[in-house]
Amino acid sequence: MRINWKSFVLSLAVLLILFPFIYLVFLSLASEWRFPEVWPSYLGFKNWVTVFGSETGLLESFFSSLLISLSVAVFSTASGFLISKAVFYHPKKRILTLLAYFPYILAPVVFAACLSFFFLKMGLFGNMTGVVVAQFIIAFPYALLFFSSFWNAKVKSYEDLVATLGGNKWQTYTKVLLPLAKGLILICFFQTFLISWFEYGLTSIIGIGKVQTLTIKVFLFIKEANYYYGALSCCLLIFPPVVLLYFNKRYVFKKLV
Amino acid sequence: MFLEVQHIVKSFGEEKVVKDLNFSLESKQTLSILGKSGCGKTTMLKTIGGLVASDSGKILLNGEDITETKPEKRNIVYLYQEDLLFPHLNAFENIAFGLRLKKIPEGLIKEEVNHMLQSLELEGQADKMPTELSGGQRQRVSFGRAISTNPSLLLLDEPFGSLDTGTRQRMQELFKKLTAEYKITSLFVTHDLKEAVLMGDQIGFMHDGILKVYEDKKDFIQDPETGVQNEIDFWGGLI
Repeated sequence: MRINWKSFVLSLAVLLILFPFIYLVFLSLASEWRFPEVWPSYLGFKNWVTVFGSETGLLESFFSSLLISLSVAVFSTASGFLISKAVFYHPKKRILTLLAYFPYILAPVVFAACLSFFFLKMGLFGNMTGVVVAQFIIAFPYALLFFSSFWNAKVKSYEDLVATLGGNKWQTYTKVLLPLAKGLILICFFQTFLISWFEYGLTSIIGIGKVQTLTIKVFLFIKEANYYYGALSCCLLIFPPVVLLYFNKRYVFKKLV
Repeated sequence: MFLEVQHIVKSFGEEKVVKDLNFSLESKQTLSILGKSGCGKTTMLKTIGGLVASDSGKILLNGEDITETKPEKRNIVYLYQEDLLFPHLNAFENIAFGLRLKKIPEGLIKEEVNHMLQSLELEGQADKMPTELSGGQRQRVSFGRAISTNPSLLLLDEPFGSLDTGTRQRMQELFKKLTAEYKITSLFVTHDLKEAVLMGDQIGFMHDGILKVYEDKKDFIQDPETGVQNEIDFWGGLI
């Protein structure tokens, strides 16, 4: 009998990739699982019921994270798209593009430490607005660099053509530029959402523990050695990106290919 | 005169691309302009279309000074060598694009676009996306999109440059037919000698930013600068 090595290796790879996620779900359903027991003494929805009863504020963190990430994704995608156009037409676009890489030279924690003084002065320390602004500083340059590939001589020709056909700036955006960039805009929204969703360093410094996003919560549970709640919050952490990934794959990537 | 261009100058940095541009054109006439690459033809067209601001000079269209008018208010359509069809719209919607910008009633748009599709010999292609059309068909849709808005002036920047010889010839014939049918005034820029002679009611020759418009085609042919004499000598020498 011939072994189909290709499908075997592929199945193994898929299993290895999926295992941590399956294990996380399993762990979130377990409690009182001590060595050397092979199976947890309890397996059910106790942890989830507790969480949804808001005993630990995990659900609150989930919605805080969602609000912060959606705000960061919307603002950075919109401003990234508009400002990348201004940068493309700017005579010093190379220098401006180079400057956009600046936030990535430093580690987010160091970057946040550098900015903390200004955030303190502006009253943005320890509140949600401050966290959104801090994460925007990271996500916006990404969006700017992401959209820089969209603008080119052909797009400029489209803009000129619309103008000579009698279209104003608003019509140029709504009828041509946005439909042309639709796929890229959705991808950028997805990516900036993820940047914000999984952000830890900046959030922990600027939020000073008062803004507890889901990522912060995960680390807290791990520090407390509460693996079951840690696994549960990880599940909550992974769920929105998986939904976004599904929609991206179904509605965006398919159209781009 | 319908179009009067007076002392237009345009420089990019130190380089003077258009030098003292002066010419006029009657309504419903086509001025074809012959010139080599980099002689300033495109800059000239873009200046007239309002896409590039001139350094000095004046442009009058139907007696009105449009030098400072925004491109969207000039009613001058600029056609590129590339068809530039909007990839997210089908042939019908591409032609209807300018009409929709002007918020023309839907019924009238349908009527005008269908008539245009017929004039362009594109019946049955209305629902096709740009990627499903051939090069010639795409260029025809591009024409239709420009003409349907009833522009005062049409600026054509080597519109058939990317087409093969056969398609190019058919497009030249179609263009002649359309300009007569829709009474279009146009500036037709090309680097093809034969095309310049065929397409224009008047002919101009542009060299190093200076445009010379000839009284008639005979003057154009006799001017050694245009290269027509060289062509005649070449073909004559083969017989």
